[in-house]
Amino acid sequence: MALSNRIADFDDAAFDPFATFESATQSHSGEDPYRRLAEMRRQGSVFELDYRELLGSPPDLTMAGLPKYMVLGAADIQHVLETPQLFSNTIFERNVGLCFGRSLTVMDAPEHTRYRRLFQKAFMPNVVAKWGDTLVDPVVHGLIENFRAKGRADLVREFTQHYPFQIIYRQLDLPQDDIAVFHKLAVGLTCIVVDVAHGVEASQKLGAYYALLLEERRNGGGSDLVSTLAQAEIDGERLPDEVLVSFLRQLINAAGDTTYRATSSLLVGLLSNPEQLDAVRRDRALIPAAIEEALRWEPPVTVCPRLTMQPVVLDGVEIPAGAEIDAMTGAYNRDPGRYDEPDRFDIGRRPQRHMGFAYGQHVCIGQHLARVEMTRALNALLDHLPNLRLDPDHPPPQVLGVNMRVPPAVHVRFDT
Amino acid sequence: MKTWQCLTCGFIYDEALGLPQEGIAPGTRWEDVPAGWRCPDCGAGKADFEMVEL
Repeated sequence: MALSNRIADFDDAAFDPFATFESATQSHSGEDPYRRLAEMRRQGSVFELDYRELLGSPPDLTMAGLPKYMVLGAADIQHVLETPQLFSNTIFERNVGLCFGRSLTVMDAPEHTRYRRLFQKAFMPNVVAKWGDTLVDPVVHGLIENFRAKGRADLVREFTQHYPFQIIYRQLDLPQDDIAVFHKLAVGLTCIVVDVAHGVEASQKLGAYYALLLEERRNGGGSDLVSTLAQAEIDGERLPDEVLVSFLRQLINAAGDTTYRATSSLLVGLLSNPEQLDAVRRDRALIPAAIEEALRWEPPVTVCPRLTMQPVVLDGVEIPAGAEIDAMTGAYNRDPGRYDEPDRFDIGRRPQRHMGFAYGQHVCIGQHLARVEMTRALNALLDHLPNLRLDPDHPPPQVLGVNMRVPPAVHVRFDT
Repeated sequence: MKTWQCLTCGFIYDEALGLPQEGIAPGTRWEDVPAGWRCPDCGAGKADFEMVEL
């Protein structure tokens, strides 16, 4: 507990990063982006358009002034994401670089590959599998215990919105007294696209806190994630503090926010299709297929931006150097050329690649942990909430959002 | 039958399962996977995989 109370809140303690971030991801019009993307795809693959502006989302201030293009065709999306020499991740220096710092997201090969392999070691399937028992189960069982006697719950507000974050706090072994402000700063980081000043303030304060944490744990021999990474070596050298702190700054957003969204949408898919939910309840071996289908149907992140490093021609469209290219991974996952009836949630689909975790060198580093978390969460909900079903007193849940998607609520009933 | 893991992203190739969705039949040994094959998640080449015990 040595670090307790050493974490500084926003100077304006009344600033609510949760509300600001949620408003930044939504469409003012409430339009379903997939309907619009399907209409556009019938016309072509590449469009000179700003996706956020098109769907009525607040503009990304950090990308102001860049020519903007959307890529919707599956083959073109794949080409963009596997050709970093033409389509660079350095575009993230404008937003992620400001708030998270020099994280893997802003790097291209070969620098990226070198660091990626080292960080990936901490998130390999055999490593994260062990966290299922030690970290994930205690958290999900504890949360369910809070509401299981009630017979009804909003699974977003009472479960999915909390569990991945609580798992990260355990991974980091954070002092309990620091968690509330830590979470607030972590969400504040992601507000940078619409509120640069608060994003930068959060970055500085979280960075100072992580520097203290690293100093304390570097030689402590602990087994938490901070200690493990602080002692990791690459080519015989320790990771630079800047790279390490930037990775940790990004962790809560990359691992917490995405898993909360993906798990919430998985629950919408299953609860809205009771025959599929029943099948999974009876045969838990179907859970992996349900998770992959949820990630295809409603990926938590629908777009991967890249920066053109030279003039390129894509699907006959001439694109200048220095343009923002939005590879629409959400559109890839709903491409009727790849999936029959792509808008339908169907856990019986033939296994096929999706881009729910993106694709290419920057494919999600935590995807194996996310699968463990979602599997344990779904198993626990089905084990402890008999006859789990949608609450007929509430309208059916809907997944909303433009570049990041989640249902605002999933109201359920169950037997007690 | 052996398993091979991508060092960049952790993708597992299991010889027993193959990758039918990518056109590689169950039981295909690693050395018989085409030289130009790439990791379906991150695009790394075969040289970026190592054998692992699961």
